[in-house]
Formats: sequence, C-alpha cells, structure tokens
Amino acid sequence: MSEAFTTALQNTFSLHVLLVILVSATYGLCVGAIPGLTATMAVALMVPFTFFLDPVAGIAAIVTMEACCIFAGDIPTTLMRIPGTPSSAAYVDDAYALTKQGLHQKALGVSLVFSVVGGLIGSLVLICAAPLLAKVASQFSSYEYFWLCVLGLSCAAVVSRGSPVKGLFSLSLGLILACVGLGSAHSLPRLTFGSDRLITGINFIPAMIGLFGVSEVLRNVLNPPATDELRAVGDGEEKPKQNWLVRSLGEVFGGIGTRLKSSVRKTVASSGIGAVIGMLPGAGADIAAWVSYAVSKRTAPEEKRAEYGQGSLDGIAHATTANNSSLAGAWIPALVLGIPGDSVTAIVIGVLMMKNITPGPGIFEADNPQLPLVYGIYITFVLANLILIPLGFLAIQAGSLIIKIPREIILPLILVFCIVGAFAINGSFFDVQVMLVLGLLGFVLERFEFPLGPVVLGIILGPRLEETFVQNLTKSTSLLAFFERPIACGLGILCIALWASPLIFWARKRLKSR
Amino acid sequence: MNSAAKFRTVFFFVYLLSLSGCTQDSSYPNRPITLVCPWAAGGGTDRVSRQMAFYLEEELGQPVNVINATGGQGVTGHSRGLQAKPDGYTLSMMTLELSMLHWRGLTKLDWTDCAPLMSLNEDPAALFVRGDSKWKTAEQLEESVLEEPGKLRASGTASLGAWHLALASWLISFDRAPSDVNWIPSQGANPSLLELMSGDIDIVCCSVPEARALLNSGEVRCLGIMSGREGTPLKLPGLDEIPSLDCELKGWRGIGVAKETPQEIQDRLVTALRRITTGETKVAGKTFPEFMDGEGFDRTSRPTTEFAAFLKKSDETFGELLGRDEFKEVASGPIGPMAFPTAAIALCGLSLVVVVTGSLRKSSHEVAERREPSGPAESNAQSPGGSRRSATEASPSWWLHFGCVVAAILLFAFAGDALGFVLTAGIVLTGLAMLLGAKPHIAALVAVVAAPVIYQLFVYVLRVPLPTGILWW
Repeated sequence: MSEAFTTALQNTFSLHVLLVILVSATYGLCVGAIPGLTATMAVALMVPFTFFLDPVAGIAAIVTMEACCIFAGDIPTTLMRIPGTPSSAAYVDDAYALTKQGLHQKALGVSLVFSVVGGLIGSLVLICAAPLLAKVASQFSSYEYFWLCVLGLSCAAVVSRGSPVKGLFSLSLGLILACVGLGSAHSLPRLTFGSDRLITGINFIPAMIGLFGVSEVLRNVLNPPATDELRAVGDGEEKPKQNWLVRSLGEVFGGIGTRLKSSVRKTVASSGIGAVIGMLPGAGADIAAWVSYAVSKRTAPEEKRAEYGQGSLDGIAHATTANNSSLAGAWIPALVLGIPGDSVTAIVIGVLMMKNITPGPGIFEADNPQLPLVYGIYITFVLANLILIPLGFLAIQAGSLIIKIPREIILPLILVFCIVGAFAINGSFFDVQVMLVLGLLGFVLERFEFPLGPVVLGIILGPRLEETFVQNLTKSTSLLAFFERPIACGLGILCIALWASPLIFWARKRLKSR
Repeated sequence: MNSAAKFRTVFFFVYLLSLSGCTQDSSYPNRPITLVCPWAAGGGTDRVSRQMAFYLEEELGQPVNVINATGGQGVTGHSRGLQAKPDGYTLSMMTLELSMLHWRGLTKLDWTDCAPLMSLNEDPAALFVRGDSKWKTAEQLEESVLEEPGKLRASGTASLGAWHLALASWLISFDRAPSDVNWIPSQGANPSLLELMSGDIDIVCCSVPEARALLNSGEVRCLGIMSGREGTPLKLPGLDEIPSLDCELKGWRGIGVAKETPQEIQDRLVTALRRITTGETKVAGKTFPEFMDGEGFDRTSRPTTEFAAFLKKSDETFGELLGRDEFKEVASGPIGPMAFPTAAIALCGLSLVVVVTGSLRKSSHEVAERREPSGPAESNAQSPGGSRRSATEASPSWWLHFGCVVAAILLFAFAGDALGFVLTAGIVLTGLAMLLGAKPHIAALVAVVAAPVIYQLFVYVLRVPLPTGILWW
C-alpha cells in the first residue's frame, strides 16, 4: 500500500499535474460564477482535453473544477441573488440578505471556508468508506428513491419562511411547471397546449434565473436610487487605514475559527448528509444543500431559527458544507460500482475507461496496478479543496467589486448576464422567454410573500417523484410494496412522521387554546 | 499611475483583445460553428459530440461549440439542428430517435428533413441480467418469458424509448407480445442498471458501452446483442464472446445538416468528417477513432448516400414496430399521464384557497394591502432602512421601468437570432442604463465595451455559443 501511495504522491505532485489543477481551478471559478453555467457544463467542456491528459491529470482537473465551480456559484448568489449553480438555490435568500446588510464579505467567507471543510470531510468519507457505502447505494431501487423525493419535497415546508401553506402553494406551482412537456413515465406531451416548444419542458436553470435574478432586477429597477441598498453599502464603508490584504482577510475570514469550533457537530452532520445524498445516483449537490439547510433550520436553537431565510450564516454554512461534500459522495458508486452518481462522474467513468481502467470493487485491492490512481484521486480531492482557499479568496475580492459599480451600470449588466445564462445552457431563445415568464411570476409571488425556494425544489424533484411513483405502481399495484424493502420502509416512516408531527402539534395547540 | 488611469489602460487592452474576434473573411467557415447535441451534458452522445467538435475545429479552423438542446426525448435537439438556417454553421448530432419520434406523432421531422453527412457509430441494443442471475443465455431467458409471461420486469429508458422497442423486437422475434415483459420506464441506462443491481428488476436493455464498467467487473452479464441473425458476435477484451440475437436494432449517431445547405458546404464538411473518422486528423498524436475505441463505442461510419440508405432502413424498422397495436396500450401505465399534473393543480388550488381565506379572515383591509404592495415586498427583501418606493405601482414611471425590463428580455428572445448577441446586448445595456439615469456617453461606452467582451468570453474562452447575427461577430 505504501508503495502505491508514494507513487500516487509522485504522480500528483508533478509540475504538470499541479499546473493542470491551478488552471482548472481558475476555469471552474469562472464558469461557476456565471449564472446558468453549471459544474456539469464546466466538466463537459473539458471532455476533449481529458482525452489528451494522462489519467491523474485528467481526473485532477475534473475534481478541482467541480469543487471550485460549486463554491463559485455562491458568489453571484450572494452578490446578485442569482444562483450561480443550482446547488446555491437553497440559501439564496440568506446570502443576499447579508449582502444587503453589507456583510457580503463575511457571507462569502463563511461559504468558502465551509465549502472547503465540507469538501474535505466528503473526501474523507470517500477515502474511508467507499466500498461500504457503495453497498448501501446499490440497494436503492425506485421505492427508496420515491421516499427520498418525498423527503426532499418536505424540505420545502421546513425551508420556507412564514406560512407553510404559502410554501405548499409555491411547491405545487413548481410541480405543475415540472409536468410541462414530455414526461418520461408516460412519454406523452402534457400541459403543452399544443405547442411544439413546450414539449421541451421547462428547463429549471432559466426558471431559476428568472425566479430569483430577473425578479430581483425588476424590483431594483422599480426602486428609486435613494433606496438602493447595494450602493449605500459600497459607498458608506468606513475604510480603516490598513493594508488591503490584511483588511480583506479580516473581513472574509474574521470570526471563522470560533464559528467552526462552535458547530463542529453540525458541520460533520451536514457533510455526512451531503456525502450520502451525493452517492445516490440521481440526487446531487442541489438536493444535498436543500436537505442540509432544512435539517440545520430544524435543529437550530429557537432564538436563531427566525434568522433562517433572512441572513442566517449558519444556514449558509451547513448547506454549503453539504453541497461540497456531496461531490466526493458521487464518486463512491462511480469508483466502486461503475455507476455514475451524477453527470460529472459519468464523464469520469468515460475518462477512466479511456485509459483502460475499469471502475469496480477490484480497483481498491492491494495488488491492483491501478491503486496509485485511486490514491491519486484521494490526494487530488484534498488538494483541490485546499487550493480553493486562496483562489476562492481572490474570487471573492474580484466579485465584491461588483457592488461598487454604480446601480445604473450594474443593473443592466446583471440583466444581460441573466439573459445570457438562460440562453447559454441550452442555446435556446425559448428558454429566455421561460426566464421572463418566471421572472414575472417570481416578482408577483414575492409581492404576496410567497417563498420562491419551493418552486425551484418542485421543478427539480417533480419529474423524479412522478417517475418513481409510476415505476413503483408498474412493479406492483399494492401500496404496501412501498414499505416492503427495509430501507424504503425506514424512509417511508420517516416521511410520514415528518408530516404527521406538525399536524399533531397543531391539533394539540388548537385543542389547548380552546 | 493613479488607479483611474490604470483602470483605463486595462480597459483599453481588454477591449482590443475582444475586437480580435471580429472577422470579415467570406469563405466557409469564417465564424464559430455550433454542433447541436440533443442529449444532456455528460452522457454518451454528449461526449461523442464534444470530441467530434474538437476534431472538427482542427479541420475547419473555427471554434466548434456544442449546445445541449435537451428535452422532448430528442425532439428539441433534432428540430433545432435540422431546422436551423441552412448555412452550414449549425451542425446536428443525430441519434436513432430521429427514426422513431415521428412515428409516435411527437414531431413532423424525419430523416428526409436532413442532409446526412456521416454516421459515426452503430451500437446494437443488448440484454443484460445480473452477474449472479440464473440466466446464462438468451434462450434460458426466453424460456422464462414463455413460462410466465408478464412476470419479468425490464427497464433501460422511457416507455416507447429506443431500448424499450429493442426489447419488444426481441420478444417479437420468438412470437411473444411486447407486453409479456413488464417495462418499467426510467431516465436511462444508468438508473436502470442500478435498479438491476438492487434486485428490483430482472433485465436491462441498453447498448454495451452504457453498461461497460459493470460488464467488465462482472456485476452484470450480457446475454446477447441485437445485430441480427447474420450479425457478428461481440468480442470484448477479457470477456466471453457475446452472441448476436435473432433480431436487429441498433442505436446510431451521425452528423447531418439542414436539407437546403449548399452542396459545396456539405462537401467541405464531408471531407473534414471523412478525415476525422478515418483517423487522418491527429491532435497531439491522437485520433478520433482512438477516442471511440477508448470509450467502448462502436465506430462503423457511413458517408452521405450510404448513411441515407441506413437511415431509411432504420426508419422502416421503427415504423413497423410502432405500427403494432400493442404499443397503443403500453403507453398507458397504472395511472394516466394526467394524474400527477391534476394532483399538483388541485394542491395548488387548495393551498391558494386556504391562503386567500386566511388572509381575508386575518385582515379586514386586505384590499388596502394590495394597493400598497411595498410592505410585503420590502419586508421580504430585508431592506434595512425600511425604504419606501417612491414610484408607486400605478404611476407611469413605474410602468415605464417595468416595461423596459420586459422589453429588453423580449428583444433578446425574439430578435436575438437576427441581430446577434453583440448588437442586442448593446441596445439593452445602453437603453437600460440611460433609463436608470446614466449619462448617454457612459451608457454607450459600457455597451460598446461590455457586449463584445461578454461575447468573446463565452464563445472563445468558455466555448459556449451565443447568437452571431448580422455583425458577423
């Protein structure tokens, strides 16, 4: 083992690989920071190049790019309220609220450090428990996934502020939007009103940009300059006479140590949630962030719970921990079973096969010639997360310049980036229209205090929920089958308990008050 | 140098750099080309498309960028690629769905709408069972189906997807009805293979490259490939020979363009594609066939007329399959297609009713609240100073601002293709900036700089296509 490990170290710490890591980190940060371009897209754009790189360099590039991308998604989320990648959608309200309070540096600092911590713990899970966890992942059939979807959707109720009924309304709106187009379960066009365009369905990336980004631009444009908080923050900053670096380091990382120390248990728990969700094919960083955010809110002390949705650093920290740790999780089934945990690891498997390496339980065995590569993957995971600290810091500094740009210049630019982001993912003008319609919808919903998060959640999980439900019923028409498999049964009971408990509480309260 | 001057210098250089993409050469190709892939990033077709784009770029000397026009089980991508302007700047990665979607009435588009340039591969469908299953050969599986029709469960793609039809054609080959094996619809080969591993289904029908990793590690067993009675068995390194079954159904990928594309452009592309598929084009000493072999894809390629003949045959196969009565029933599962949307709409309506009655009961001045929407909106946005909107909702200025933002997006959505990104973005930037109170020269300056810079960034650095339009940018 030690021999393989030394080889791996030598391979990874070559100038060539380190250079590849640096370049892909920068590239990942750029792609992630642009709304509409996802981590998958960043990695897909890399595919042709991985063909020419040796396996360690190719894999290192993918790992680094993905980690940087998911973090960079937080930058526009925080500064402009446009989720850079879908994984940031869970805490967009919190992050943006902090920006409005002038605390964007701090918010991004928290998200950077916790991303790194989450990434590292996720890597640790991958290193220590991959073969074991892969066994669990391979036990997931459509029954388990069905309950997982229900669990994910339940997050909407927890996550949304204010009236849960309003959250439910938003969620069902998302579910309706998800139905548009050609459903995979029935392969028939639905809710398309005879339009050829609508067969495509509502792509959730333009939908998300519309709901959050366009509605925010609209609100800002309709606000007269005097109430423009963004500029007020930029101008009103008291600049102490300090070196730029020292000052911004303080702003970004100040108080992070205590924060980390005080929430060790929750951070580890969030990473665990992330890694487990990440390893399930079909559930990725976005859902990990939602679930972790919901858990964080549920378990928060009473006095802190009100903060969630209005600038809770804890919420951001735990959600961002989970979304970064889920990245490593997705590699578990990919390496152990050869089944990709998400679209990025699908590319990874392609790259490995290309280099004549077959993922499978075999590659972990001591006498396997590919063992150095496996160790190499571990090392790059750690390295990628570490390099994120300095580069992420620079990205935060560069990003923060945005809010110093005068309102009349930055708002049109943000709108153009919204348009480009919605267009770019599928190169479709129709998506731009979708973005507009959802932008108006988001604008109206917010006026009447409906939360937007659940709409996105509904669009993401709706198709999967329906599909697994239909799959289950095709397999057996009995509803008892939903509880027959052990893991499915556990998840099912958890879901029912989750839904029943507030109802019981509510009924009790009602009875008492009478 | 003070910071303003420094900024200006940097600004200037970035601008010069961005102008470098503006070319006026008139021979084909003189600007970036787009390759439309009908499937999502990260999948097999996407990987083939991206590698192909890379080699095409080497051959044609212009960036070739891939767009994933997903949705509608391939309808979207194929229509986008084949209904684009026939100028050779939009290429289409076509997949076997082109042969079947029109039979299902999902689109009018069929193979006669394309000018086929070159097919890239033909991967036969194959039957997979778990590595530890009792079925060692296709005949044994056949017996199980005959013994207990309707008991076994199979998956691989959506209902009526290609692999579903492949399974059906296998069943038909020994005179069984397609419904004698239960088809569980799924998102694709990977989730189906996972279901197979979890023990909840018995058979997966998909192509060999999709299951390659599991096949090599012995987790799944391949009982046969569908390349027809005379088809050659498949030999994979380290594995037993996989026999060819009695039925024939192949997944294929190929490149085509819109039908009216000028012949000389088609010829130029075919020449390039031929050099690439035969391995003459080398980048860093590696060729496209090496890539295909590495990924485990078959690489039978056929040029123009041969490809057209193949398309015709593929089209007929699917027409025959989908013409059968059985497939009219298969589409309707245990619950109808509208059940889920109906439930969602009901939930939506119900919660809206609860919200409305709740708010009616809570406050008697509900009407007043609607008139003054700044309350809820502001509190939602967490504005610190409790700021008030000076332009109220009904004022003309409010509507002007509102209308301008909407118009900006509409401009891009409807005129973006004709005008191109740079021009549209320029108009949007100038207009909105001036609306928000920027001085005209500053607004114009921002537009002149930002629009080309964004274009360059996306098209040349990130390799994400943006509309080109009339500026030849």
